[in-house]
Amino acid sequence: MLTLDLLINGLVIGVFYALMAIGLSLIFGILKVVNFAHGEFYMVGAYAYTLLALMAGVSPWLALPFALIAGLLLGLVVERLLMRPLYSGYTSWGVMRDEYAVIVTFALSIFLINVVDKVVGPYAYKGPALIDISRITIGPIAISGHRLIAAIVAIAVIVIVALIIRYSFWGRQIQAVSQNRLGASLAGIDTAKASAIVFSLAGGLAAISGALLANIFNPTPDVGVFPAIKSYVIVVLGGMGSVPGSIIASIILGVLESFGGVYISYQYRDTFGLFLLILFLLFRPQGLFGEKAREV
Amino acid sequence: MPCLAIKNVSKAFGGLKAIDNASFSIEAGELVGLIGPNGSGKTTLLNILSGHLSCDSGSVELDGKPITGLRPEVLARHGVLRMFQLTRSFPRMSAFDNLMVTGCALGLSQGDAEKRAMKLLEDLSLTRIMGLDAGQLSGGQMKLLEFGSCFMVPPRIALLDEPFAAVHPTLKEIMSGFIRSRHAEGQTFIVVSHDMPVVVELCPRSVCMNAGRVIADEATRTVLSDKVVIEAYLGEAAA
Amino acid sequence: MAATQPTNTRLKVEFAVSLVLLAAVAALPAVVTNAYWQGVIIVSMYFAMLSIAWNLLAGDTGQFSLAPATFGMLGAYTTGLLSYYYGTGAAIGVPAAIIVSGGVGLLLGRIVLRLRGPYLALTTLSFAEIMRLVISNSIDFTRGDLGLNVPGIFQGRLPYYYLFVIVLLVTQIGLFYLLRSRAGLFLRAIRDDEIAAASRGVRIVYWKTFAFTLSAAISGLAGALYGHFAQFVSPELGLISQTGIVISMVVIGGLGTMVGPLAGALLVYVASEFLRDSGNWQLVIFSLLVIVFARFFRQGLWGILLSAFDRKPARPASPATATE
Repeated sequence: MLTLDLLINGLVIGVFYALMAIGLSLIFGILKVVNFAHGEFYMVGAYAYTLLALMAGVSPWLALPFALIAGLLLGLVVERLLMRPLYSGYTSWGVMRDEYAVIVTFALSIFLINVVDKVVGPYAYKGPALIDISRITIGPIAISGHRLIAAIVAIAVIVIVALIIRYSFWGRQIQAVSQNRLGASLAGIDTAKASAIVFSLAGGLAAISGALLANIFNPTPDVGVFPAIKSYVIVVLGGMGSVPGSIIASIILGVLESFGGVYISYQYRDTFGLFLLILFLLFRPQGLFGEKAREV
Repeated sequence: MPCLAIKNVSKAFGGLKAIDNASFSIEAGELVGLIGPNGSGKTTLLNILSGHLSCDSGSVELDGKPITGLRPEVLARHGVLRMFQLTRSFPRMSAFDNLMVTGCALGLSQGDAEKRAMKLLEDLSLTRIMGLDAGQLSGGQMKLLEFGSCFMVPPRIALLDEPFAAVHPTLKEIMSGFIRSRHAEGQTFIVVSHDMPVVVELCPRSVCMNAGRVIADEATRTVLSDKVVIEAYLGEAAA
Repeated sequence: MAATQPTNTRLKVEFAVSLVLLAAVAALPAVVTNAYWQGVIIVSMYFAMLSIAWNLLAGDTGQFSLAPATFGMLGAYTTGLLSYYYGTGAAIGVPAAIIVSGGVGLLLGRIVLRLRGPYLALTTLSFAEIMRLVISNSIDFTRGDLGLNVPGIFQGRLPYYYLFVIVLLVTQIGLFYLLRSRAGLFLRAIRDDEIAAASRGVRIVYWKTFAFTLSAAISGLAGALYGHFAQFVSPELGLISQTGIVISMVVIGGLGTMVGPLAGALLVYVASEFLRDSGNWQLVIFSLLVIVFARFFRQGLWGILLSAFDRKPARPASPATATE
C-alpha cells in the first residue's frame, strides 16, 4: 500500500537524518555555532566505509566502525585547530565569534570537498550494502535488506548516544556546559574537553550516517551537501541544542519529504525543508524545543 | 507635568518578578539616584525606560506622552539616552567617530556634530585619544566615551547605569563634575549606582528599590537612614 | 605617543590604493594583449564587483549573508530573460537587473532583520539554494540548466574590459563617498554593536535594509554585465561554491576595507587561472588560505601590508584593559 510504504520510507530516512542532526545540535548547544562543514563529516564517513570495503576487501561490518573512527578523529582535529580559539579568548575577530565560525567552517567545507575531489577523484563509488538481501517483507511492508539493517543500526546508535548524554558523567558535563559555559567552568568542568568530545562525537555520528547511506546515496565529494542542508533545517525545527527535538524533527522532515515528493512535487522536494527553515527562523527561531536566545 | 512618570510598572521573567508595581515621577531638571541591592530590578527598570525591554503592565510617560513599547532608537530620538552597565561602544571606530554616530543619528548636521564632538572630547579630557579606535581604549576611557555620547544632543533625560563602577578616581571626578555642571544647566538625570558617597554628593533625591518594589523615595540623606533601606541592604539585624 | 589615524584617514588611504590598483588594471592591456587573459581579468572584475558588494554587507555592516552569488545570478537572468522574451539589449537589461536584484535584496533584508550570526547565515543560504533550484528547475521559463544566450554589446574584448573598469571605478567612488558620510557611520555602528547603535538613535531597520538593497543592486549590475560579456547565463552562477569564491576573495584581500575585495578578487581569480593548468587545485588552496587568514589575519593581505608599514605603538599610552 502506497501510504504505508511512503511512511516507512520517510521514517527510515528520518532516522538517518537524525544521526546527523543530533551532532549538529550538540555542537550548537555547546559552542553556540553552526558547523557549516557538517556535511563533510558525513562525506568522510561515506568514503571511509566505501573505500575500505571496496579497495581493501574488508567486510562492510568492519568498515563501519572504521568510518566512525574517521569521523571521530576529524571532529577532534577540527575542534582543536579551528574552534578552540573561539573560547580561549584569542582570535583577531574579537566579538565577531559567530562570523568567524561561519567563515571558517564554510571554508573548511569547500576545502574538504575539493581535497577529496582531487585526491580520490570525482567519480561516484557505490557503497556496499551491509547485507545482500535486496528485499525483506515484514507483513505489508517491503523494504530492502540494507535499509532495514542500516535503520536498526542507526536507531541503536541514537539510543546509545541519547543515554550517554542523559546519564553518563561526560554527558552531564556536556549538558552543563551547554546551559552555562562560564558557570560550568567555574564549577570546575573542563569546558575545552567537553567541546572536544562534542565535536568529535558529532563527527563520528555524521560519519556513521554517511557510511550507512553509502549504499543509497553513492559517495561523491559533494555527497554531504544535501544532508547538511537537511540537518540545518532539522536542527532549527527541533530547536538548536535539543537532542530530542532533533530526533523528532528528523522524523517529521523525513516523512514530509517522502509524502511531499509524491503528492506535491518531486522536483522541489528538497525545497520544502528550506521553506520550513526560513519560516521557523523568522517566527519561531527556537524551534520546537530549543532555548530562546537572550539579548540585552 | 513631570518629565518622566513611571506608573505601576511590572515585569516578570518566568516566575521571577523583577519589577513589582513600581511607580515614581521625575520632574524636569532633577538629579535622581536609583539605588538598591543587587537584583532589586534597577537595571531592568532602566531597560524598560530605554525601550530594550517591554513591561508586562503599567505605563511610562515622557512629558505626558506614553512611551511604553517604543523601540530604543525611537526613544533616543525622543531624548531618552542611556549608558549600559557593561560598557558598550563601537570598538572598530575611532573615539571621535563614536561620538559622531550619536550626533548624526539624532539629527545634527555633519558640521555641528563635529563641533559638539570636539567640545565634548575636550570637556571629558579625551582629546588625546580621539583618533584611537574605541576598542583600544582603557575600560575607564571607554566608559567616559559612552558617557559622553549621551550628551552629543542634550537629552531630555539621561539614564546612567553604574557610571562609576570600576572607574579610575580621576575619571570619576571628570564624570561627576560634568554631571554637576549639566545639572546646574537644567539637565535631568537618573543615576543608578552602588557608590554611596557619590550618590550622596550628587543626587538630592534618591529612589530605593528592593526585590522589584520601590521602598523609599525621598531626599537622599533621609533615604539612607531609612530603616527599610538599611534592612534591604544589610538585613534585619542591622536595621 | 605616535598619533594614530582616525577612521576617515584610513578610508582615504584605502580608497587611494584601490584607485592605483584600478589604474594598473586599466593600463594592463598594453602589456597583456592576449584576448584570453584579458577575458580572465574581465571575469575577475565581475568577481571584484560581487566582492565589493558582499564586503559592504558583511565587512562594513556586519551582515554575513551567504547569498552574494545569488544576486549576481538574478541580475544575469533578469537581463537574459528580458532579451530572450522581448529581444531587449543591455540598455534595458542592465538597469532592469539593478532594479530587480535590488528589489529582491530589499525583501531579503526585511525578512532577515531580526536574525544574527548563524541564523542569518542559514537563512540566506537557504534563500540562495531555493533561488538556484527554482531557476534550475523552471525549465519552461528559464530553460533550466541549459542556460540562456544573451546578446553582446560590443565587438572585441577591449570595450568590455574598459566597461568593467569604468563601472568598478564608479562603484568605488560611490562607496567612498557613502562610507565617509553619516551612512558609513551608521553601517559600521550597526556592525560593531547593534544594540548600542539602537540606543544612540540609529535607525537599524532602515540602514540594514539599505545595506542589503545596495549590496544586491551592485551584485545584480555585475551579473548583468557579466551576462552580456559571456553572452550566456546559467544557474551555475548561483552555486554555493561561487559564494565560497567571493567570500574567499574578500577574506584573503581584507574584510571591511575598501581595497581588500578588489585586490582579493583580482589576485585570487588570476592566480586560480594560473593554477588551473597545474590541475585544478585552486579551490583547495584558496579555501585553505581563507581558513588560515580567518584564524590568524582577520585584516587579510591588506592588514598584513599595513602592519609592515605602520609604526603604531605596541601599547596605547593609557592603561589598557582587555576590552572583549
